Amino acid sequence: MNPAVGLAAFLGVALATAAIGFYGLRISRTTGDFYVASRTVRPWWNASAIGGEYLSAASFLGVAGLILLTGTDALWFPVGYTAGYLMLLLFVAAPLRRSGAYTIPDFTEARLESKAVRRVTSLVVVAVGWLYIVPQLQGAGLTIRISTGLPSWVGSIAVVAVVCVTVVAGGMRSITFVQAFQYWLKLTALAVPAVFLLLNQAGGGSPVLAEASSNPTGLPAAGLYQTVSLLVALLFGTLGLPHVLVRFYTNPDGQSARRTTLIVLGLLSVFYLFPTASGLLGRVFAPGLARSGRPDALVLLLPGKLLGGVPGDLLSALVVAGAFAAFLSTTSGLVVSLAGVISQDHLGGSVRGFRVAALLAAAVPLAFAFTTDSMALAGSVGLVFAFTASTICPVLVLGIWWRGLSDAGAIAGMLTGAVLCGGALVSSTIIGSAAPGWIAQPAAWTVPAAFAVMVLVSRATKHRVPGTVTRLMTRLHVPERPVATERQLR
Amino acid sequence: MTRVRVTAPQPAARIAPNRPYHSREAAEDSDVGQVFVRSLIRSQLRLALVVASGFLLVLAAYGSMVALVPQLAQMRILGIPVNWVILGAALYPVIGLSAWLYNRSAARNEARYRDLVEEK
Repeated sequence: MNPAVGLAAFLGVALATAAIGFYGLRISRTTGDFYVASRTVRPWWNASAIGGEYLSAASFLGVAGLILLTGTDALWFPVGYTAGYLMLLLFVAAPLRRSGAYTIPDFTEARLESKAVRRVTSLVVVAVGWLYIVPQLQGAGLTIRISTGLPSWVGSIAVVAVVCVTVVAGGMRSITFVQAFQYWLKLTALAVPAVFLLLNQAGGGSPVLAEASSNPTGLPAAGLYQTVSLLVALLFGTLGLPHVLVRFYTNPDGQSARRTTLIVLGLLSVFYLFPTASGLLGRVFAPGLARSGRPDALVLLLPGKLLGGVPGDLLSALVVAGAFAAFLSTTSGLVVSLAGVISQDHLGGSVRGFRVAALLAAAVPLAFAFTTDSMALAGSVGLVFAFTASTICPVLVLGIWWRGLSDAGAIAGMLTGAVLCGGALVSSTIIGSAAPGWIAQPAAWTVPAAFAVMVLVSRATKHRVPGTVTRLMTRLHVPERPVATERQLR
Repeated sequence: MTRVRVTAPQPAARIAPNRPYHSREAAEDSDVGQVFVRSLIRSQLRLALVVASGFLLVLAAYGSMVALVPQLAQMRILGIPVNWVILGAALYPVIGLSAWLYNRSAARNEARYRDLVEEK
């Protein structure tokens, strides 16, 4: 690939991001704006922003790479990523918006009247956020190396720098605009090359896609347990992702939180058609990439490989721009939500504290990204989903729907999930590819275990159920008045 | 332009239900009010579980269809193998439809609750 093209694409995205960020800064005036965009973002904007934030390196590069590697087995990833939003809609979207809390620790503390629960939740949230940022930075490293030939660390540092500047300057309001822009950029960046290449190949009269079901690596197909466990992780992991949840607080009320989620589902469904198409194209026309051990680069290399020349360069530039939009948007979303948690708990909740926390939230995973080697992007993000599904998902779902949840139960359940799932993930990393399926893909047993411990311990500590539970449950589930006070204030 | 010092609202103040509900709160704290609230929560939970299990059934059906009928990989729609179409494209409308149905019914549950409370 032409290095100048890659560099220009990256600079273009960085500049556009910064410009939109500063535009947002001009209209971001109060702390409310800074933290949650004053909860007045319209559903379409908000939905585009959620889509922009959610579609990470794993979706943009990883899904196509994994499809190249494992074929139809990998198609469960985009399905799971999308269906996770359905579960979010069904079980948490509106009640969580009505809780009025800003972060997940705010919610658990209010629900269970316990500082200890707050601290445990904060720890889990920060761990999840950091784990999720690492693959983004590794994806950035991979992209910069493939597109410009520069060493990987340049890409990781560049992403962290741009994110810090936009987040520190503009907070949530400007991030909403940036994210919304980046959704549409990512969609264009995958859709245009995929459609173009498909038409190009179909027009050429080639034996289109006849070999799609061929298997370039000879990897065995995933078993039933693997697929089920992966789906458990993806379906129930989404509703615990800190950067996704924080977005729901920017809706004006519970109903609009639901409407937003419906739009998000539409946006995600459209988006995921294109990584799937790219994966299919890759399987037919570039099976060599799978054997070379760099399947995640498929989306980046495909236009150059199939077209070459100026059109190939232009499409490559578009893809590189989209890839950086993916790293930037997910990383900044995570950094904003982590900064919210860290600054509220440790830095007094001021705007200055938020900025310091943002720097902290981005620096730690950067160190991780340097010291660890990247694995398949979609796979490593899938593991983060397994971890959230085993820790944050149970406390949210039970907290919203079950009056009997006690603080002791919540802590015991989260710790059980964290230890079991974390332990399985660490040991599967140590054992490597020889790890048995139930360790490599642990969600199918760690999620039920966390739920079970949470329920049993809560039952045993009934006297610790807070007296405010009735009032809070009312607050979570009762619809707002048609004209809420906040709208009048606006 | 005047400069205003801004700080984050403290969690306790944010969560305390001091917002729109003043007049309704009394009604909701009463025994009868709580009966309505509990029945709203139950119907919303039942709805969520029904939609979730319906979707999971469809998901399982699609998955087993692809796993149990290997001939699908040989069939083509517009040149693309049918098993790819099923998993790669045909599941998304099901997700969207489930979400739409849920939104409609959840809003209806809430409207019913509002009617009950306002009637009193």
